[in-house]
Amino acid sequence: MEIVVLVKPVPDAESRLRPNAGGTELDGEGIKWVLSGYDESAVEQALLLKAAVPGSSVRCISFGPAPRTEEVLRASVALGCDRATWVERPVGMPADPLLCARVLREALRKYPHDLILAGKQAGDDEEGIVPSALAELLGVESFGSVVDLRWHAEEKRFRFQCVLDSGSEKVEAAGPLLIGLQQAWNDPRTATLPNILRSRKATIDRLPWSDVAPLLGAFSAGRTTSQRFRLPPPRTGARLIDYQSPEEAAEKLVKILREEAKVFP
Amino acid sequence: MRPSVLVVGEAVHGQLSGPSREALNVARSLAGSEGRVTGLLIGHGLAAASAEMATLGTDRVRVVEDAALTSATCSTLAAIVRAEVEGAQVSVVLLTGSVRYRELAGRLAARWDASVATGATELSPTEGGGLRVARPVFGGRATEELDLGGPRCVVALRPHAFPPASTTAPAAPVERRASPPFPTGNAPAPKVSALESTEVTGGPSLGDATIVVSGGRGLRAPENFRLVEELAASLGAAVGASRAVTDAGWRPGSYQVGQTGRSVAPQLYVAVGISGAIQHVVGMVSSRVIVAINSDAQAPIFRVADYGIVGDLFAIVPALTKEIRKVRGLS
Ligand SMILES: Cc1cc2nc3c(=O)[nH]c(=O)nc-3n(C[C@H](O)[C@H](O)[C@H](O)COP(=O)(O)OP(=O)(O)OC[C@H]3O[C@@H](n4cnc5c(N)ncnc54)[C@H](O)[C@@H]3O)c2cc1C
Ligand SMILES: Nc1ncnc2c1ncn2[C@@H]1O[C@H](COP(=O)(O)O)[C@@H](O)[C@H]1O
Repeated sequence: MEIVVLVKPVPDAESRLRPNAGGTELDGEGIKWVLSGYDESAVEQALLLKAAVPGSSVRCISFGPAPRTEEVLRASVALGCDRATWVERPVGMPADPLLCARVLREALRKYPHDLILAGKQAGDDEEGIVPSALAELLGVESFGSVVDLRWHAEEKRFRFQCVLDSGSEKVEAAGPLLIGLQQAWNDPRTATLPNILRSRKATIDRLPWSDVAPLLGAFSAGRTTSQRFRLPPPRTGARLIDYQSPEEAAEKLVKILREEAKVFP
Repeated sequence: MRPSVLVVGEAVHGQLSGPSREALNVARSLAGSEGRVTGLLIGHGLAAASAEMATLGTDRVRVVEDAALTSATCSTLAAIVRAEVEGAQVSVVLLTGSVRYRELAGRLAARWDASVATGATELSPTEGGGLRVARPVFGGRATEELDLGGPRCVVALRPHAFPPASTTAPAAPVERRASPPFPTGNAPAPKVSALESTEVTGGPSLGDATIVVSGGRGLRAPENFRLVEELAASLGAAVGASRAVTDAGWRPGSYQVGQTGRSVAPQLYVAVGISGAIQHVVGMVSSRVIVAINSDAQAPIFRVADYGIVGDLFAIVPALTKEIRKVRGLS
C-alpha cells in the first residue's frame, strides 16, 4: 500500500508569539517549529498501517518555507517514513489554504497513492480546510476527525471511526481516500537516536516553487487579500474567592457567575 | 449591496442545533433587510427543525430529506449544497462549525475558488462586498483577521461565538427539494454506520455545550469523577477531562480537552483539579469565563482563570453542586 502523509511545521505550544510591527505576521524569532500535533497522529497511523500491511511504503509531503519544512520532514523520516517531498514555498509568501491544496495536488500527481493521511486541523491556523479542499480537487472521498484506522485485506476496505460532535460513526470505505486524523489512540512513537542520525542524511526530494507555480496558473498568488494577527488582552490572573467554609465559597462563586459574569440566570 | 446568504443548518435528534440558530442570526445581520437569507437542512426527520428555521429570520427554507442522508459523506453534502447555490444569487455560504460541516467549507471553496475561513468568531461586511472575519488561532493564543474577497465567501462559524437568532413572524415558506443524484466518485460507495452517541450522561456534547466542566488528576481515582459529572449535571454542562484522566483510562479519549484532544470555547469553563499545563490550556483558553478549583494556589491554571477557589475539591465541588441546584430550583 502506498501511503502519503501531509505534514506541516507549526510553532511549539510553548513558543512565545509576537505579531510584527504591522501585525501581518507572527515574529519568527524564538519560535521552535515542530510537527503539528494531529500530523504526528497521521504519521503514527501511517506507520501502524505500514507495519500491518506487508509491502507498504510511506511518503511524507510538506509545502512550506526553509528551513523549518525540511526539518519536520526529517523528523518524520526519523519516526519511520520511507521518503519525503519538500515543496518549497517562497519565504514571506502568505499561507493560503486553497493555494496549499492546489500545490499539494500537483505534488501528489508524481506519486501513486492508495491513502492520503493528514491532520484533522493544523496546530497554527486551525482551519481544517486543506484536507477536504484537496479531496475535492482530487475527486476522492474524505473523512475528518478519524481514529482507529485499519485495513481489511480480504474485503479491500478501510475501517475506521469518525468522531463527530455528539457521537461517532463507523465507516467502511475503499481507497483512494483522504483521511484527517484526530488523535492516535496509542501515544505516538518517538524517534530513536540512530534514526535521528540516519534522517539527517536522508534524501529529501525537492520541488522548487519555480517548477510548481506555472502549473497553478492564476492561483499561484493565493486568495488571501489581507491577514493580520492580534494577541488577546493578557489574562490578569484569577480573582480568588476568600471564604471560611466550602458553602460560603460556593455561594460567593455562584453569585459572581450569575450577577457579574452572567453565565447563567 | 447587501449579500444574499445561504445558511446550511443542522438538526440534532430532530431539533435545530444551537450553532444553526447562531448562524441564522449572523446571516440576518449580514443580509440586512435587502439581502435574502435562505436556510438549508439536509438529512432525515427534519420537520421540527425546518419549521423552527422558518421562524428564525429566514426568507425561505429548503429541505433535502432522504433516509440515506442521515449518514451522508462530506462529498454528498457538498453536491447538495452546490445544487442549491449554483444558479442562485448566493454570495455568502454560512456553515455551523460542527466537525462534519466544517469539512464542507474546504470542499465548497475548492470547487468555487471561493475565499474561505473556518472557526470565525467575528464577521462583518466590507466596503468591497466581501467579509472581514476574525478567528482564534494557535489554540486561542492569537487572533487572525482576514479579509475575504467576493464574489463568493464560505465561512464556518465557531460554535457559541454569536447569540442565537430570535423568533420572527410570519414563518418563511418551507420547500422540499429532491435530493440530487449522489456522486459516485468511489466505487463501491463508503458505508457509514448510524451515529453512535457517546453522550454517557445524556447532557450536551463537548463541542455543542455552552458550559463545560472538566476534571483532572486532582480527583485521584476514577470513581471520584462522578463529582465532576454531578456538578456538570447541575449546570446542564458537558463533561471534559485533562489528558492525565484519559491516559489513565478513567474516561475515554473523546473527553480530552487540549492540544491533542478537543478545543472548546464555551461561555463558562470550570477546571476541577487540573494544573493548567499549556497543552491543556490551548484547548480551553478561548472560553469566555474560566473558573478554577485547585488546592495549590501556585497552579498555573489560576493564571488563565477569571475566578478561582483555592481549596480541596472534595469539599468545594459538592458544596458548589448543592448551591447551583438550589439557585436553579432543582431539589
Ligand atoms: C505532546 C503533549 C500533548 C499533550 N496534550 C494534552 C491535552 O490535549 N490535554 C491535556 O489536558 N493535557 C495534555 N498533555 C499533558 C499535559 O502536559 C499535562 O500532563 C496534563 O494536562 C496534566 O493533567 P492534570 O492537570 O489533570 O494533572 P496534574 O498536572 O497532575 O494536576 C493535578 C492538579 O490537581 C490539583 N489537586 C490535587 N488534589 C487536589 C484536591 N484535593 N483538590 C483540588 N485540587 C487538587 C493539584 O494541585 C494539581 O494542580 C500533553 C502533553 C504533551 C507532552
Ligand atoms: N503546507 C502544508 N503542507 C503539507 N500539509 C499541510 C499543509 N497545510 C496543511 N496541511 C495538512 O492539512 C492538515 C490541516 O491543515 P489546516 O487546513 O491548515 O488546518 C494539516 O494537519 C496537514 O496534514
